[in-house]
Amino acid sequence: MKNKTQQERLFNFGISFLALGAFPLVWFLSQAILFRELTEIISRNMLVVIGLLVGSSFVFLLFSGMERLIRLAPMEKRDSLEARMFAGPSIFMIGLFLLYPAIRTIYFSFKDRFGQSFNGIENYSWAFSDAEMLVTIRNQIVWLVFVVFFTLFIGLIVGWLSDRLNKGEAFFKSIVFMPMAISAVGATAIFKFIYEYRPPPLTQIGIINGIRVSAGENCSNNRLIDGTLFDYADDSCNRAIGWLQQRDLSGLKIGESLEAGGWFSNLLVNFPLNTVLLLIIMIWAYTGFAAVVFSAGIKAIPSDIMEAGQIDGASEFKIFVSIVIPYIKSTIIVVGTYMVVTVLKAFDIIYVSTRGDLETNLLAVKMLDEFSKYRNIGRSSTVAVLIFICVIPIIVGNAFREKENSRI
Amino acid sequence: MTRNNQRWYDKPITKLILVAIALTWIFPIFGFLLSSFRPPEAIKRTSWWEAIYTGEYWRELTLQNYSEVFFAENLDRSFYNSLAITIPSTIIPITIAAFAAYAFAFMEFKGKNFLFMMIVASMIIPLQMSLIPLVQLFKSGIEFGGITLIPALDINGTFVATWFAHTGFGLPLATFLLRDFMMGLPKSVIESAKIDGASNMTTFLKLVAPLSISGIAAFATFQFLWVYNDFLVANVFLGVYKPENLVVTSHMSQIVVGLFGEAWHLRLSGAVISMIVPLIVFFSLQRFFIRGLIGGAVKG
Amino acid sequence: MKKSIFGLLVILSMIAVACGGSSLEGEEVFITGALVGNDAAGFQENFDSFTEETGIIVSFQGSDNFEQEIQIQMESGDTPDIALFPQPGGVVDAAQRGYLVALEDLGVDLDDYKANFSEYIVGLGTVDGVAYGGAHAFNLKSIVWYQPAEFEARGYSVPETWDEMIALADQIVSEGMNPFCFGMYSNGASGWLATDWMEDIMLRTGEGTVTYDKWVSHEIPFNDPVVKNAATLLSQIMHTDGYVVGGTDAIVSTYFGNAQDPMFEKDANGNPGCFMHRQASFITSFWPEAAQAGAGTETTVFPFPAMDDGLPKAALGGGDMFAVFTEGDEAVNAVVEYMLSDNFFAAAAQRPDNSRIYGHVQFDSSLYSKDITRVLADAITGALAENAFRFDASDLMPPEVGAGSFWKEMMNLAVEGPGYVDTALDNIEKSWP
Repeated sequence: MKNKTQQERLFNFGISFLALGAFPLVWFLSQAILFRELTEIISRNMLVVIGLLVGSSFVFLLFSGMERLIRLAPMEKRDSLEARMFAGPSIFMIGLFLLYPAIRTIYFSFKDRFGQSFNGIENYSWAFSDAEMLVTIRNQIVWLVFVVFFTLFIGLIVGWLSDRLNKGEAFFKSIVFMPMAISAVGATAIFKFIYEYRPPPLTQIGIINGIRVSAGENCSNNRLIDGTLFDYADDSCNRAIGWLQQRDLSGLKIGESLEAGGWFSNLLVNFPLNTVLLLIIMIWAYTGFAAVVFSAGIKAIPSDIMEAGQIDGASEFKIFVSIVIPYIKSTIIVVGTYMVVTVLKAFDIIYVSTRGDLETNLLAVKMLDEFSKYRNIGRSSTVAVLIFICVIPIIVGNAFREKENSRI
Repeated sequence: MTRNNQRWYDKPITKLILVAIALTWIFPIFGFLLSSFRPPEAIKRTSWWEAIYTGEYWRELTLQNYSEVFFAENLDRSFYNSLAITIPSTIIPITIAAFAAYAFAFMEFKGKNFLFMMIVASMIIPLQMSLIPLVQLFKSGIEFGGITLIPALDINGTFVATWFAHTGFGLPLATFLLRDFMMGLPKSVIESAKIDGASNMTTFLKLVAPLSISGIAAFATFQFLWVYNDFLVANVFLGVYKPENLVVTSHMSQIVVGLFGEAWHLRLSGAVISMIVPLIVFFSLQRFFIRGLIGGAVKG
Repeated sequence: MKKSIFGLLVILSMIAVACGGSSLEGEEVFITGALVGNDAAGFQENFDSFTEETGIIVSFQGSDNFEQEIQIQMESGDTPDIALFPQPGGVVDAAQRGYLVALEDLGVDLDDYKANFSEYIVGLGTVDGVAYGGAHAFNLKSIVWYQPAEFEARGYSVPETWDEMIALADQIVSEGMNPFCFGMYSNGASGWLATDWMEDIMLRTGEGTVTYDKWVSHEIPFNDPVVKNAATLLSQIMHTDGYVVGGTDAIVSTYFGNAQDPMFEKDANGNPGCFMHRQASFITSFWPEAAQAGAGTETTVFPFPAMDDGLPKAALGGGDMFAVFTEGDEAVNAVVEYMLSDNFFAAAAQRPDNSRIYGHVQFDSSLYSKDITRVLADAITGALAENAFRFDASDLMPPEVGAGSFWKEMMNLAVEGPGYVDTALDNIEKSWP
């Protein structure tokens, strides 16, 4: 009896090893070596064609090979063998490409700038005492709060209201969704064109500054009126503002009129304007995603529930709050989780706009700058670990949700 | 609920809010798109709204910015590179993820929940962090305690390195979404197939995969857009120092940056041109995308 | 040579041998760097005649993301053959980490090299007595751009000393105009223009180049009175009411390449937006096309004003330096030899849009397309001969300071005002590793 369990264990181990390790590894290596050799011997155009055809289909060899192998296994073992072989390549790739680097990063976060000798928790005490790091952490929190809240909120409004239309539902959703197809770099360029600042006496081509400087008597954005040029050089005119460089509101009229002292006005004066202007880009880009998913969720609400609400004479708002929101709660959590993860990884917008200057930095950009600009592997790894730590609550929360779901 | 019943809340206020949001969303692109048809000097001389107001805009309309970018040397080569990276980098992760999703949704094995949590957790790992370990892995493999786990491959600078990288980075979301989607399929159909004696492979290929086609298309759109718009992974793994290895996004930034200060005229047309392919993909697949994502998200 | 094209090379070289060409015919050498746009095109053109002669194909691929990519490429082992670093600091760092090939091992005659480019320049790319960095093009930073016609029309004379410059600035302000253009936004490197100002002042105060060298090597602290004096004078320029057109917003938000645009634009009263712009010689390639034609005539330079009569004149500059990753490859060696030869820069120099200055003392400066470039090139050569040329300090300091706190605190100083000088310098001092 005991012998048999041992044999069983050995067999189980063998399956796991084959499925999670050896088999994906063989595929991985053979594809890598095949294309490395191809790159060397065939012409460029051929390489593109073969890459498209064989590169895409090579992975099917892996699974058809597995199918063959499974047929050799005894009938009663097949299920367990198959399950692992199906899941194996995914776990192998994720392990190799994400988990292995993650573990390596945690290890390096305790090392010095060259990644050679250990320096204890020095990097961590730096991360929580360095003024710039503290601002970066603050920004990350501001981004999380604003971006997640507004994408969910506007997404819900669009999802729900567009569902209320007889015509044009797809049109509105498409418009809001369209920014998803634009790269973050493109989206940032679009918004930089709006926030654009130019020193006087140049014409303001960013629309915010353009409208600002042409407001007021005798002020104009370099317009020719009857052959005379009207500009905004006069002191009575509004000056143009470098929006992405405003760390707070003190450069604006509203900031000047605020009295220091009260906690509320202090909070308002310290409102991180440039950070907020940058995170708007992300809200713009991701709201469509939320809207589309919510709209699909709302459509799945059984009609009798909604009709019951209508017959009761409940107001639209009440239906929304008491029927719609609870019904799609799980959808909101899924989208919310996805947004939290995406914001924590947010990188491109800052990287191509301000690169973290004047208190706009985010953790992912800081991580890369510590590596490539300051060449400090230890600190760079520490910043990466901070990003993981931020997500632990979300993962734990989702794990509980997952358990609840499986119980149902 | 039928459409007719909805009339009572098809109120003007609904439309008003939606129109307001739609205008807000379209507005940033509006000025950008209009300006891309203006001559370089005009973009700097007058603002676009002023130019439209005075009618100057219509007199000066030009495609010059577009031709300058579009007929840039070897842009076609970069376009083929982009395709050679994007298409395998979309198909490979979807294939792997679909099999894994099937296993996680319909099969039982030891450590299933733990492994699935691991996949969800790996969604948060920023890919920028993985770049260095991966280029080292592709160069010299992994050794642990003197045992070679992965041999030195030396594949940096080849297409296959980018396929692997994008596969690794895309898999967690793909597995997560597809599993959620498959969980939403009617269980009875799968069970009856098993009772009929169909193997898991047959059930997957003949039944589950076709039923999940919209979920698969949804993720394909997502991954395609992501990979096509990426330049970081391509630059790192393909070796940007070889002109023949440029992809469209990095080629575009080469053209656009650093000509005459901030070359708005090229930046505008360059951004518009690089949006074309993603928008075509998006509009042709969007109905899949919209239906696809609901599978998982809605079942709650 | 890279393995991935090895097969291709074998075939190509077989063809070459069969055709009876030289043995290096068809060999490819890859160079990367931070040059983009016209500068990249000019750099590539330099190799046209070389390729014709030797058959070696040289391809240059610039990237505005170079600094990050080269770090990753070094880790990956998939490096280009040659990299053109925008700062010598990058060469030194790569050499210390053991990625580079010493110039001597590439067959470079170091004595010739030093004679051609000066001991000081060679020293910038040297680690532990071994030279790794190959000198390339330079720019002159100790200059102020102005428009003589505008000066003459208003009776201004070119300031020769700092005090004269301040007096002129005050006069311009009192006449209701703005004397200076100042814009230091530069994605990922914002603040370097202010560090350049401080460096120029440092070279002209205290003991001049002696203090400057001590400052670079941290023999004097960053909050030393001499440094504080420099920061205070800079703050005077940045923060005196009316000095800078557009004020603080312009300083921190204007892209450095567009900072001079106000000088080329007239306001409603027919006055230019500003009269003086302290910026390096390369700025001409960022000007509007119409203004570029007038470089050296309509818009020209005066030297950064002297501050202390007792000190010899000094010149501040910056420039690129290349370094080699591939060892034992004949084609690469040939390219390196060519890149250090006196006629290397000929093609680029003749381009009408070129503003870069080749560092080789034997280079025929009559080849430069613009007179102004020739004048500035002679100034650099002269300063080098007198050992009065100093390289941009922020490029020589450790990256945490030179590419980090120094830039960042200059941005903060611009926003916070003159009261922030002490805090800024203390913070930079603290960040020194």
